[in-house]
Amino acid sequence: MDRGALRQRIIDWLDDQYHFGEAEQKIGDDDASFLDRGVLDSLGFVALIVWLEDLLHLAIDRRNISRENFDSMNKILDYVERRLAGERS
Amino acid sequence: MSLAGLEMVFFLPAVLLLYWAGPRHRHWQNGVLAVASALFYFTWSPRLLGLLAAAIGVSFGAGRWLQVLPLEGVSQEEATVRRRRRRWIVTGAVLAEVGILGVFKYAGFFTNSLAAILDALGLPVSWPVLHLALPLGISYTTLIQVGYLLEVYWERTPACRDPLAYGVFVAFFPQLIAGPIARAREQLPQYLEVRRPTPEAVATGSREFLLGFTLKAFVADWAAPHLVDPVFQSPLAFGAAAAWAGLLGYAVQLFSDFAGYSLMALGVGRLFGVVLPVNFRHPYLSKSLAEFWRRWHISLNTWLFDYLFAPLTTGRSWFRGKAGPAFVVVFLVSGLWHGPTWTYVLWGGLHGVALWVHHAWDETYKGLCRRDRAWVARRRSSSYLLASWVLTQGFFLLTLIPFRAPNLGVAADLVRAMAGGGSGGTLPEGLGFQGAAALAFFVAWHVAEFRPGAWAIGWFERLPAPVRGVAYGLWVVFLAIYVPLGAATFIYGQF
Repeated sequence: MDRGALRQRIIDWLDDQYHFGEAEQKIGDDDASFLDRGVLDSLGFVALIVWLEDLLHLAIDRRNISRENFDSMNKILDYVERRLAGERS
Repeated sequence: MSLAGLEMVFFLPAVLLLYWAGPRHRHWQNGVLAVASALFYFTWSPRLLGLLAAAIGVSFGAGRWLQVLPLEGVSQEEATVRRRRRRWIVTGAVLAEVGILGVFKYAGFFTNSLAAILDALGLPVSWPVLHLALPLGISYTTLIQVGYLLEVYWERTPACRDPLAYGVFVAFFPQLIAGPIARAREQLPQYLEVRRPTPEAVATGSREFLLGFTLKAFVADWAAPHLVDPVFQSPLAFGAAAAWAGLLGYAVQLFSDFAGYSLMALGVGRLFGVVLPVNFRHPYLSKSLAEFWRRWHISLNTWLFDYLFAPLTTGRSWFRGKAGPAFVVVFLVSGLWHGPTWTYVLWGGLHGVALWVHHAWDETYKGLCRRDRAWVARRRSSSYLLASWVLTQGFFLLTLIPFRAPNLGVAADLVRAMAGGGSGGTLPEGLGFQGAAALAFFVAWHVAEFRPGAWAIGWFERLPAPVRGVAYGLWVVFLAIYVPLGAATFIYGQF
């Protein structure tokens, strides 16, 4: 799955679970913090991690579950790209 | 000694003077804080100071050991060996920390409960009952150290190399009695730097201390003897109105006691140039239970979330993706953490189940929103929000019955009295000036979250400094007149 397709899947998931058609508007900027903008709360982050693991068939190590890796759209996409590239190499 | 006690009038300025007048070096600053914290601890549990030092030594040593076994930059085989060794180290250290807590806090509870079960099964036993003094703040210091160990184990934070800084991180005296529960990533770096005084920190710290003291000593310590204690002592002596007043009074007391003390701790921390985590954000304004627990005792609930809920629901166990059952586990642990009694376990269980029900409702409501967007708008309507607020706060209020009652019998008596089954007595005294002023302060504290309150605070902040100084001075005089010195109790200190 390329970056654009994964981004769309995340938007669809956010719309389905929390924002019902308003996810894009809520996110605003792909670098903006999900927590600060109310895109996800702490429970939502846990649900996102489980969903991403199941979707991409990867295990996200506990040491990587942090705001540095998951608190914005770009951070999530960067992290997933790094992980998938690491597994291919 | 406590932050709200008379001794603090002498202790705090003396420590501040030593801290800031001495060399501007972190070892000096940490040394002063370590000695002050040890003295503070000594006034509560002189014989158990060695136990605290030993616990700190174990977690510090285990952290260092984990640090010298990194998983990066070694061969696959070596990484496997190290992974196993790291697991042993962290398990051993966590068991040691939790074991100390278990022996001192829970040994009596579990042995008594086991004896009662065996007795009910017709197998009466008689074994010596342990009556151990509870070390000061052990529930807090244990969570701080376990959190640190897990962070180092998961390589999310480096192990601390400075034992003095680490000791202060665990046992900094303002946080000893009732938290907040410090987290390694935010707190430890502060003790590894030299702290410098700033006028803003002094002003903010003093204001927080004064506000916290008002909540704690003026509001909570008034509500306890006038509303709460008589009703919970013998609920059936009272009529329904008095019983409800007692319960509502307890909600006021509990928040003011704990949020007040936490704010005082924050203020004192700031006076030393240390920023402690915020522990309360107006929980009585929450419109769902999940929101409530994000605003009440934040440092405990984020700890439970990060180290229990998240690993449970994202791991490979049966709990994966199952938030509802995980809420029950987390809140049973939270109940037990508050105290080794069945009333706390019941309180935790009720909150766990209620969060599960709320989560299920949330999922159902999402289904409605997916079918028809009108449901999204309905959820934002004033009537929906008001109903949510009433349900959330009403539920929390009712669960305070087992939380405060000394046993399940008294809890049942209070429920009976609230339903009009008591003998109809009234509370001995009316509100009086102090009661009215205390409740007005409590209400104002919450109104300050809304626009008129924010405007009033902004207006006050813009007044010239001398005018604000006089206002604070008058406030202190007012408190000196109305707060009975030395009468303070600490609800969360007993946990």
